[in-house]
Amino acid sequence: MSILADLGKELGGMFWADARLTTSILLLVAGVGGLILAVRSDPLLGGGILLLGCLAILIEAAFREAKRRARR
Amino acid sequence: MGTLTWSMAAPAIASAFIASLVEAVEAFTIVLAVATLRGWRPAAFGALAALAVLGLLIGALGPLLGHAPLHLLQFVIGVLLLVFGMGWLRKAILRAGGIIALHDEGAIYASAAAGLGSSVGRQRAALDWVAGLTAFKAVLLEGLEVVFIVIAVGAGRGLLGPAAIGALSACLVILAAGVAIRRPLAKVPENTLKFGVGVMLSTFGVFWTGEGLGIRWPGNDLALLVFALAFLITGLAAAAALRRLGMETGR
Repeated sequence: MSILADLGKELGGMFWADARLTTSILLLVAGVGGLILAVRSDPLLGGGILLLGCLAILIEAAFREAKRRARR
Repeated sequence: MGTLTWSMAAPAIASAFIASLVEAVEAFTIVLAVATLRGWRPAAFGALAALAVLGLLIGALGPLLGHAPLHLLQFVIGVLLLVFGMGWLRKAILRAGGIIALHDEGAIYASAAAGLGSSVGRQRAALDWVAGLTAFKAVLLEGLEVVFIVIAVGAGRGLLGPAAIGALSACLVILAAGVAIRRPLAKVPENTLKFGVGVMLSTFGVFWTGEGLGIRWPGNDLALLVFALAFLITGLAAAAALRRLGMETGR
């Protein structure tokens, strides 16, 4: 059972190590998807938002974790 | 399916090779600790059993992936890659910025050895089971990430075969190097590799998520280079800024 628990933990950790990072990415993808598929805006605009959004989320996640560790 | 050319297969092989190198080092460190303390038999048994489970998993998943619509597959894998790759990149940035400690294979080896050593009072047969299970778990857990990397790199383009060759080569290279030197592979620049892999996985993530949503990227595959550069420059700049911040606050 311990192996299964570790397996679950490892799988969870692969995708859910930073819950806010994961949620932000999923919200960004949902937003871009909505923009392209529902609003029918230019797909390239959606692509640009996707790339820049990912970069912004990455920076925010790194600095948030650094601040959290500095406070401890 | 059309003919597979070297220019199509090489990026998948190289990406899976580099990404799997890191996981293979981590698994090998634990297997080596088991082998050194309890002999090669339980270590090899545990590792081979884990490889068999992974083989079954690939055998079950591979045909399923072949039946999924390509756009849906690209989208799902793209999103998973974004989550997984950006998580890796975030961690690599924090390590490069001195916020969290670098991965230390020596310490991991010592910890695994201590874990096995604390069981010395038990009977030998039971101890061999514990040793075998330790090797099994290490190879299974790290191998799972290798399987995911192979799927991530290969499935969106029908390049599962070349990606699997890349991953398998990485495991064999680490195994050969490890057996030759019989010490934890502490000199592997793990964070640099993780940084590179994080950049690569995030790049494929943006590309395939976009393709899954119907975006035709300008320049087709050349867009991958632009995305990789964007992630690399952002990651390096963030790590440098964190280092500076750390020095200013005297951390």
